[in-house]
Amino acid sequence: MPRATTEILDLPLDVRPEPDDLIRAAMQWHFGAETGSPFWLERAKNLPFDPLTDIKTHDDLTLFPNVAAELRDVPAQDLIPRGYGPSPDIVGVFESGGTTGAPKRVVLLRDWLDRMLHWSNLNLDAHGFPRGTDWLGIVPTGPHIVGEYFRRSAATYGRHGFTLDLDPRWVKKLIAAGDRAAAGAYAEHLIDQAAFVLRTQDIGVLTVTPPLLERIAHRDDLVDLVNKKVRAIRWGGTQLDPDSRHLYKTDIFPDTVLCGNYGSTMILGFGGERPGLPDDAGCVFDPYSPYVTFVVVDPQTLRPVGYGERGRVLVHHVSKSFFLPSNLERDVATRIEPLPGQAGDAVADITPVETFENEAVIEGVY
Amino acid sequence: MAAPGTDVVQLDALGARGPYQTRNRLTVTDVAGRERAELSLVPSLFVDRTIKALRGADTPAPDERIGMINRAAELFATATLNGLTPDAYTHLVSRVGGTPLSVVRATVTAIAARLRRAHHSVDQARPTGAVHRWNDPLTRTGRAVWVPRGDVFAVHAAGNHPGPHSLWPEALALGYRVVVRPSRREPFTPHRLITALRTAGFGDDHVALLPTDHTTADALLQGADLGLVYGGEDVVRAYAADPTVLPQGPGRSKVLLTRDVDWRDHLDTIVDSVSGHGGTGCVNTTAVFVEGDPAPLCAALAERLAAVPSLPPEDPAAVFPVQSLATAKALEAHLLHRASGTRPWLGGEGVLGELGDGSAVLRAAVHQLDSPHSPQAAVEMPFPCVWVAPWSRDAGVVPLRDSLVLTAITHDDSLVSELVEEPSISNVYVGDHPTYWMESGLPHDGYLAEFLMRCKTVIRD
Repeated sequence: MPRATTEILDLPLDVRPEPDDLIRAAMQWHFGAETGSPFWLERAKNLPFDPLTDIKTHDDLTLFPNVAAELRDVPAQDLIPRGYGPSPDIVGVFESGGTTGAPKRVVLLRDWLDRMLHWSNLNLDAHGFPRGTDWLGIVPTGPHIVGEYFRRSAATYGRHGFTLDLDPRWVKKLIAAGDRAAAGAYAEHLIDQAAFVLRTQDIGVLTVTPPLLERIAHRDDLVDLVNKKVRAIRWGGTQLDPDSRHLYKTDIFPDTVLCGNYGSTMILGFGGERPGLPDDAGCVFDPYSPYVTFVVVDPQTLRPVGYGERGRVLVHHVSKSFFLPSNLERDVATRIEPLPGQAGDAVADITPVETFENEAVIEGVY
Repeated sequence: MAAPGTDVVQLDALGARGPYQTRNRLTVTDVAGRERAELSLVPSLFVDRTIKALRGADTPAPDERIGMINRAAELFATATLNGLTPDAYTHLVSRVGGTPLSVVRATVTAIAARLRRAHHSVDQARPTGAVHRWNDPLTRTGRAVWVPRGDVFAVHAAGNHPGPHSLWPEALALGYRVVVRPSRREPFTPHRLITALRTAGFGDDHVALLPTDHTTADALLQGADLGLVYGGEDVVRAYAADPTVLPQGPGRSKVLLTRDVDWRDHLDTIVDSVSGHGGTGCVNTTAVFVEGDPAPLCAALAERLAAVPSLPPEDPAAVFPVQSLATAKALEAHLLHRASGTRPWLGGEGVLGELGDGSAVLRAAVHQLDSPHSPQAAVEMPFPCVWVAPWSRDAGVVPLRDSLVLTAITHDDSLVSELVEEPSISNVYVGDHPTYWMESGLPHDGYLAEFLMRCKTVIRD
């Protein structure tokens, strides 16, 4: 292993590598016999190219097949690069939401967590989040990585992080079964618990999903509490439409910072809202390039769509701790020009893959 | 205002603080696919906040409400509202919904007439023992008082025909605050009606228009106390167990002719019941039952309906409804599929009258069934489509069940008694009355006020 390779993968937190330098170093690391993970070393045997020699640039990542589905079955231990040695510093094993079938697993290592948090905290600074306050997280916990990021963000950027149990899979099951009443009761149960924390603790930052933020907005007493105490709201997990965003920023929580994240378990993190967007626009999200990158593609050809056009979000994660290229997410987004020096695309107006409404109900007159 | 139909009309949501234009807007196209309006779709957060504001609003006194509804009736029929003259508005409804222009115009007149009598209409539903106010002298010795069951009433409106919009203003007369979710096929009428009501004096926080996409629609019913939902059998099933929602499902209106009458004397009524008002209503006839051989009636119906020309909806002489070619083809395919095994008299090869601009007239269909129990008799289509079946005393009331309106052309009083007593038949018209006949003050599917009001006892010293 040439020394330069690990240097590029281990750059100080405030130095970002050139995208193509990162890719070449990562190939040496993840596909090197001494350093790569058992999963990738085995998987590489079935690739129609040699990553060590054929993958040289960020654009080359799309040559990789989408192996995300294989993360449903692979033993988590096999995902850890051997280069970390016999006792890698592991934060935990986390799972995808489980919207479509069995969950996929990833391993979160300390060095990546620190790197991601460093970047994410800089984004909070840019949005004017207050430092040193207590945080309340109404976000999935347990096997979901968002809960871990919440705790670590609260601990590094704020003071105490208050959490509650939130199982999104159970909610999805209730909704799929058409049991809206039970899904609603569960959501109210969550808000009831959050209310205890909001009333008694000095909560300066609220992390929440948009559907649950809407339930907070439904309760006048909680709106008053948020306006009195909470100085910044960080939302993520599902999308916030531009009209609701505008209502929150101008009408419901006019003096509170509102900042969105767009993330997924499979990128071991999230993109952050671009600071300084107007109140009446949709959110633009920039990823932590070059480690995490987005490409908005035509789902058939996997070629990028034009700027301003809609396509599926293809994500790549390339770090020392993990490699997952060419993962086609279930989201549709508008392709936006990246900030200078960033690889890939920024994304906006994210929606789930279009599902077709009952276009014309054939029988009947309505 | 330019000539009708040249501009794209902005249809804002009408929220509790006035008109509200969203970033999320739906393009409303006419039957030829041309853009005619942009409809602001609100998110559930806005629905929630609007309903909250309505819930907190004061209700004007009853006579003041009636006065405002009266003024709104006049404005709705005659004023320029949201930049649209009555002519521009009716033209748009016709072009977008595909409803014949003469039908739209007649409906505007009918809606205004019905609004003017809203006070009369709701009072017909009041139990004779009940009084309006707690301080009526009769309550001194104990009396029923007629009161609303809630504060906010939500309506998922229909798009097949503007007519049903004459119903929900009764809730305003009764003291409710009302939110209406328009159909994407016909948002013009509720937008105009609510604009008229506001111009006439109702507060922005009293009656609101909240267009939403499909997934947000339920937020209105969740937030309101009571709701009215138009839809098919799926909608009826979905809300069957919900006592706060009144579903308005399939009409499946029918005509019955017994052996003691000659259908030839009633052909006008039958043709009219099938195709009147564009043939798109729940009160249009879906099936005709004949005691005896249905074939001669089928032949006569086919002859009469075949003679109707295919015209664009905005043509003053148009009779049949028009849809985009794609929708019309889907409807035709469905009809042909369902009609298999029946005897076609008209429309057996298809019902489209293509207009060459991407739209098509949905022409009438007449099919003969070989049994009163054939399942096709329940197939209700949004155009003049009639199934004619033989009927006998042995078949009895069973095939006549589940009818919004049953016109019974018969001299058999004991049969009429049976039909009136049948719970699943909502209205019985005996003799020469088309199934679409309606009159202010008479129940359509029961009185709406039966659902909106209750009686409570008040006694005082």
